[in-house]
Amino acid sequence: MAERDRIEQLHRALSGSVSEPAGAEIRELAVMARRLRDMPREEFRVRLKNILKEKAMATATVSHLREGFHTLTPYLVVNGAVQTIDFMKQAFGAEEKGRYPAPDGRIMHAEVKIGDSMVELGESNEQFPNRPGALHIYLPDADAAYERALAAGATTLHAPVNQPYGDHEASVRDPAGNNWYIATHLGGRHVPEGLRTVTPYLHAAGTDKLIDFLKQAFGAEEIGVHRSEDGTVVHAKLRIGDSVLEMGEAHGQWQAMPMGLHFYVPDTDAVYRRAMEAGAKSLFAPEDKPYGERSGGVLDVAGNSWFIATPLK
Amino acid sequence: MGGGRPLRQSATDAPEERALVEAARQDRARFADLYEIYFDRVYAYVARRVRDRADAEDVTSEVFEQALANLGRYEWRGAPFAAWLFRIAANALHDRAVRLGREHGLDATEEAAEADQDEACDAGRLFQAVRDLPELQRRVVELRFVEEKSIREAADELGRSEGAIKQLQLRALDNLRALMSGKVRTGGRHG
Repeated sequence: MAERDRIEQLHRALSGSVSEPAGAEIRELAVMARRLRDMPREEFRVRLKNILKEKAMATATVSHLREGFHTLTPYLVVNGAVQTIDFMKQAFGAEEKGRYPAPDGRIMHAEVKIGDSMVELGESNEQFPNRPGALHIYLPDADAAYERALAAGATTLHAPVNQPYGDHEASVRDPAGNNWYIATHLGGRHVPEGLRTVTPYLHAAGTDKLIDFLKQAFGAEEIGVHRSEDGTVVHAKLRIGDSVLEMGEAHGQWQAMPMGLHFYVPDTDAVYRRAMEAGAKSLFAPEDKPYGERSGGVLDVAGNSWFIATPLK
Repeated sequence: MGGGRPLRQSATDAPEERALVEAARQDRARFADLYEIYFDRVYAYVARRVRDRADAEDVTSEVFEQALANLGRYEWRGAPFAAWLFRIAANALHDRAVRLGREHGLDATEEAAEADQDEACDAGRLFQAVRDLPELQRRVVELRFVEEKSIREAADELGRSEGAIKQLQLRALDNLRALMSGKVRTGGRHG
């Protein structure tokens, strides 16, 4: 059918002025046109989106976080918790917020604050074996912090250098085996936009699998994934709740280093269940803990320990 | 994963949908992603059951506000997120009908309810396809079919001849039909 005929037939079908029925093809278009009467106005779609955004922000103030904490807190399980606290004080000006000894005098749990971030730690034991972590820390003067870290007993991984991603950065390993990537962001604030003083850094064997797991189990959002030419994840940033997690594929000097994370959620049982369905292994099933949290523990697909928790009302 | 019956009529794959829901539960600001995906089909579902556009907008607002407020109660049981939204919509429509003193047509059988949801999903895809049209065709669709303006009114508003508007509405509908046939997910419909 010539286009001119189709144009006229459709017009007649739409105006209802057709005395003889149009062909099947034109009828189909006319039916589609009728369905479009129910199409929402664009102005309404945008307005409702903005209303929901405002309500979402209001909801966010009703928090499931413990005061002073964010969604994610690195949890270092080490041989030598006391020494690690002293190291963080000397090298990074950490402020001790709490120390809870076990009956034998060893530290069962401790909390320190560095800048705007919390770090938790405990002495390793049979149930929770030695599991130091890697932490990316932003300070105003990375050079000075690097020197203080060495003076406090750390060994160097690399001396301060200007990195292509805009950080002046050095790396050390503390006496208990934790890696610290000490950085000053150049040009502006010393902490890059969107990060805090301390960010956990996961060195993983199988980063792609880990990223998939974190998305599926914990609703992680990819902020950026940088790959090498062969597709390996060199560096990735993911957001979970109000916190950011960095990670990269284990290689060379930077071998897999699974660590512990304390993870505040609105509903521990639901998140524990989703983690298990996404391939995690259970460390302990959710239960009310004497320290005022409902908590469940899982090992993710790369071997990191997640202590999922919701403060008890 | 998930278990239960296959995902029907969802624009997203189950693991992806699940990740989006989980993200929104952790951070309510991420609810915007779910809104973008489900807005059209929820609106379509509601619009067929109310008197006019103002009512459709009222009820759609109510559905999404309730979904946001109750997201913590949503439990994944293998059914798609859209089914949860449709249930909220059906309840909102029922409550509204009761308030207005005309309880009718909302206690449909499960089969009829599923057919209604399929229809809403198809309409939702059609609405999304309109946004993929070239700008001028999209405007003609909005003026002629959404706002129900005459050929002459549309021609005046767009500064085109009446013949051009007639031609554009044909092209727009031809394109929509092509976009729809390219996007139909038959696996979901019969799964």
